[in-house]
Amino acid sequence: MKPVVGIGLRSPHLAEIARDRPATGFLEIHAENYLAPSPARGTLERLREDYEVSVHAVGLSLGSVDGLDEVHLDRVATLIRRLEPALVSDHLAWSVLTGRYFNDLLPLPYTEEALGVVERNVQRLQERLGRQVLVENPSCYLAFAHSTLSEPAFLAELARRTGCGLLLDANNIVVTAHNLRLDPGAWLDGLPVTAVGQYHLAGHAVNDADGEPLLIDDHGSRVGEGVWALFDEIVRRYGPRPTLVEWDTDLPALDVLLGEARRAEQALGIEANARAA
Amino acid sequence: MNSTRVAIASALAAALVLPAATSQAQGNMEKCYGIAKAGKNDCQTAKSSCAGTSKKDAQADAWVSVPKGACEKIVGGKLTAS
Amino acid sequence: MLALRDLQAAFAALLEGEDQPGLFDAIVSDTISAPARLRVHRHHVAQSLTGALAATFPTVQAIAGEAFFRTMAMEFVAEELPVQPVLAEYGEGFPAFVSGYGPAATLAYLGDMARLDWALNLAYHTPMVPRLAAPDLAGLPADRLFELKLGLAAGSTLVRSPWPIDRIWQAAQPEAPEGMVSLEDGPAAVLVLRRPDDAAFASLETSEAAFVSALAGGTSLGEAAEAAFSVEPAFDPSTAFARLLALEAFAAAQHEA
Repeated sequence: MKPVVGIGLRSPHLAEIARDRPATGFLEIHAENYLAPSPARGTLERLREDYEVSVHAVGLSLGSVDGLDEVHLDRVATLIRRLEPALVSDHLAWSVLTGRYFNDLLPLPYTEEALGVVERNVQRLQERLGRQVLVENPSCYLAFAHSTLSEPAFLAELARRTGCGLLLDANNIVVTAHNLRLDPGAWLDGLPVTAVGQYHLAGHAVNDADGEPLLIDDHGSRVGEGVWALFDEIVRRYGPRPTLVEWDTDLPALDVLLGEARRAEQALGIEANARAA
Repeated sequence: MNSTRVAIASALAAALVLPAATSQAQGNMEKCYGIAKAGKNDCQTAKSSCAGTSKKDAQADAWVSVPKGACEKIVGGKLTAS
Repeated sequence: MLALRDLQAAFAALLEGEDQPGLFDAIVSDTISAPARLRVHRHHVAQSLTGALAATFPTVQAIAGEAFFRTMAMEFVAEELPVQPVLAEYGEGFPAFVSGYGPAATLAYLGDMARLDWALNLAYHTPMVPRLAAPDLAGLPADRLFELKLGLAAGSTLVRSPWPIDRIWQAAQPEAPEGMVSLEDGPAAVLVLRRPDDAAFASLETSEAAFVSALAGGTSLGEAAEAAFSVEPAFDPSTAFARLLALEAFAAAQHEA
């Protein structure tokens, strides 16, 4: 896929996008919202005729020690067959344990043991889908004392072992670096350039924890200036890639979201997207 | 077939030739477009304060919390008299 | 050092409300403590699942108010987590929970409103199957029609209540006109249906509900009409059957009747 800028397709915007067909590089959906044959999926399938689509799963639980849920995997695979998306991704996190789904991207210790688990799950996913998937760096609120690898080293090794791509979320890097007292610039060192396949941009919130600020990845505002600055650095080091602007909480008017996408296009140094419809 | 059954059968058959009232019948339905707004797997991280996150907290809140919404428009019936 | 399986089990137990002091030791603690860091996840799980329930049960939330709903939903979440990741499919047990929820006892109809919300949610996420239309049955002899068994289209649910759930639903809509609903207006029955672009429901007369209920149970058209006569001697099979056909309530026949 060309390094264009897309927006997250959220249901409050669905009717407006279906009617006005605004210009955007691609539409990204959360897989779990479109597995059932609802009218919303009908609308998405019509939009697919005019737009490139990216399928971002939030519930595959790539870090589950039990392995992937094959029933859920089948449903995601069926959706991907229907939509033929340009990109498929999920997170370096876990959210399922013995039949309970927590609806959160839960943190992993970065150990050899965890790497083996994620490696197996990503291999299974790629084998089932018959294609490469991208794995996204999560927002971290805590670190495990027994981690032996840094997050980027873990991701780099995962990409090397499985051939998966990496989805770099600039906002998540800023959030994680702040919360775990890391240097966001140093986080970017040493990732395999050829594995980097997509970028995400979003806003975050600032919370109070024990009297100190803790950044929360809420996708509820404009992309922060610190995130834009890091994004420039990412593009300088790894080059332009397909980039998504996502917004989930306190969703703004579609124009605001498209405005953020235009700023991302400038940061990537690309021409505005041709009208998609 | 007994005569009641014959009467029912012909009444059912008559339904097939009633003037098509599809649009009127559909107009008598309550449309629920509201459901379409639900992208339930969208919200990834809640940002607000950390109060009231446990079952214990919820149970403590429950009995002091009073329903306050459209229920105020629904009156009568012995169970709401108290 | 915790093995990954033990770590995930401890984390899961913490999210379900158990104390897990062992987990605190596994987490780097600085000026922000391990418990404060873990609270972000506990909070998110509770809030996001409560939010998903609010999206699936909008009528219940509108009736009970946001604060009351949140508290009630949080108790349900603590009792019953999703068993898979699709949140539109989470909450099947919520109507029964609401019916038995002590603090909501003054709103006796609330559990039935939850059943209606769930039926609408179910209909919305069901495939739109082809419907039976009157011309499909044209030419069928009357006695064959009597014996005919018709299935409701996938996604259809009959919701019956001792309360006027259709009028309560209307009163709970954001743009509802002013005015009161009296619980003495009950009972009510509604037929929830998947439609091409949404889910919707139609209010049924008591006799129509008996007719639909019998049909859904697999009885023939004629016997279903007899069941409706037994609850309402003035039942009119022509009008009721024509209305259901017009509502496109029946699935297109799979095979010749």
